[in-house]
Amino acid sequence: MRSPIFSCLASLFLGASAFAADPVAELSSFSVFNNIDLAQLAKGGVKTAHGPQLPNPRYLSVQSCYIVPGPPAPHLEAIQRWTPLAHRELRVWIQQDVPARSPEATFAKIKSAPDNSATRAFTTATTKMSNDLQLSRAEAAKWNPANANGGLGGGVGDFWMGVLAGRARAFTSGGTSALAPYDHSSPALRAGDELNGLLREQGNIRKQFGSFLDGTGIGRGAGSIRADQYWQLQQVDDSAAVTLGAFYSRNSATGAQGADVTYYASGGFYTGLSLYQLWPVEINGQPSTLVWRGDMTSSGSLAGLHGMEKLASESAMMKDVGRAVNLLLKDTAR
Amino acid sequence: MHWRFLSLALSALLLTVGARAAQVWPGEFELTQTYVGEGSVERDPQRRVGDFEENNTLLHLVFTPRIKLGVLRLGVEYERFGFGLSGNAALPDQLQSLAAVVGLDTQLSDSILVRLEAQPGFYGQEIQSNDFNVPFLLGGTYIYSPDLQLVLGVGVNVENKYPVLPGGGVRWKIARGWVLNAILPAPRLEYDWSRSVTVYLGANIKETNFRLNENFGTMRGRPRLNRAELSYNEIRTGAGVDWKIADWLALNLEGGYLPYRTFDFYRADIRYHQDGGAPYGMISFHGAF
Repeated sequence: MRSPIFSCLASLFLGASAFAADPVAELSSFSVFNNIDLAQLAKGGVKTAHGPQLPNPRYLSVQSCYIVPGPPAPHLEAIQRWTPLAHRELRVWIQQDVPARSPEATFAKIKSAPDNSATRAFTTATTKMSNDLQLSRAEAAKWNPANANGGLGGGVGDFWMGVLAGRARAFTSGGTSALAPYDHSSPALRAGDELNGLLREQGNIRKQFGSFLDGTGIGRGAGSIRADQYWQLQQVDDSAAVTLGAFYSRNSATGAQGADVTYYASGGFYTGLSLYQLWPVEINGQPSTLVWRGDMTSSGSLAGLHGMEKLASESAMMKDVGRAVNLLLKDTAR
Repeated sequence: MHWRFLSLALSALLLTVGARAAQVWPGEFELTQTYVGEGSVERDPQRRVGDFEENNTLLHLVFTPRIKLGVLRLGVEYERFGFGLSGNAALPDQLQSLAAVVGLDTQLSDSILVRLEAQPGFYGQEIQSNDFNVPFLLGGTYIYSPDLQLVLGVGVNVENKYPVLPGGGVRWKIARGWVLNAILPAPRLEYDWSRSVTVYLGANIKETNFRLNENFGTMRGRPRLNRAELSYNEIRTGAGVDWKIADWLALNLEGGYLPYRTFDFYRADIRYHQDGGAPYGMISFHGAF
């Protein structure tokens, strides 16, 4: 039987109630954050760290944790609702929801994409059917060089509207398992396989999110949990890229879980996944939420990095994640 | 020509060890050969060492296993400068070093990376136990953004005329395909011709200290140069192309002009400086696994 005095003393020293003990232990069990001091974390903003070293050189993972006031469910909803469009430095120019049926017209905004060096590079890559584009052979075969005029506002935009609509429909019907491989210019590579690989090499995380992910379309067929899909036009490295993503969430009495998957990218990286675990905690008597976020990506360009370069790319990713979380917190605090 | 045998033996050893260890540890390697055409140096117009060539060989193998603190750097490096001079020339025929590489790349924050690396080894005319020295460097990289990084560091060599030398520079992605990699000792302006080919203009500043043989001075009528410390410096300026043949292998070809070279017996106050530059050509195989 636990002594109430000990609990009281403990909460005095920690600045957090015994309510927080289980989340901290659970966080330690699957993440790189061991024995986090909740009171310190609540004062210290976002804590980011390298994820575990993944044997596959294409993979990279970063983990972060932070505390926000209020219960988990509204914060998870805020994460889902948040848009990077208000922050130009994040270089996302278009973000829109994608309905389940996703007709091509859903993506018509690509025709009003900004004219800059990155979108011009994307247009040029499309007109040349560059090897950098991640397409299936069937998708690439639909490109008609006669439509090259007009850039994204013309035939190039039409081409990508078709690709995105087809990929979104495939995901809706059968999750990542239904997606065509990237085999237009290199050995076939499937986003679903990459997602499974990322999770397989992080066994503790896979275990933590196992039952939740079983209900999604991430690395498998269409799941039972509803996916909120979206598409983006953003800058990746020097070029623009179109991406398709889906957000899944699940609330329970002990907290909430979320998964934000980029299941298609036209270039720059193969796939990306952000997982969220949220626990209710009390900080100085106020209901709060402890948030763990795991960001993982698979990219061909990572495979060529070694030593200091790899360390630098991890640092850059940590910095990006930290910046994105801080912007989210700033926006949601308004 | 025993040095050639040594170079070949070391190359074979490095490749064999590298191939086996690569199955366990990641790493990086470099095999570079540079030929510098006829050039001259002089102490004064009466004391000139003229029309000599240079062959510079560099073999480098470093394993980079990941540990909790960062990336370890453990390996070996061999370098030789051969000048083809006669036995009684005022300058040594060859200078060479064989050193271990022991270092750590680590992260101070998500914006600052630090490298501490020592190269304990033998730096002399021959590879002898009494030519031992431990130069080391400490440097930091500030990642301002993916397009801009600042580097600052110091190189420490107690045998050098200037034991502590600052270094560093900036790596700036100026525009699509263009990178100003202005970091000493090898600043470059690079252009990505294609995904696998980079062309560049740049320079390479070499500065190494070597301990000369016990009878080097006696043989030349200057006993004070016995066991003298020689600081050898050269600057290469040129253009090159780097072709990534495979994920783990790149071929680098470079050619240019050597406008500056000194042999400085600084403790004896004897210094030979460039008297007419020389063309050079370089071939290098390098990569990481």
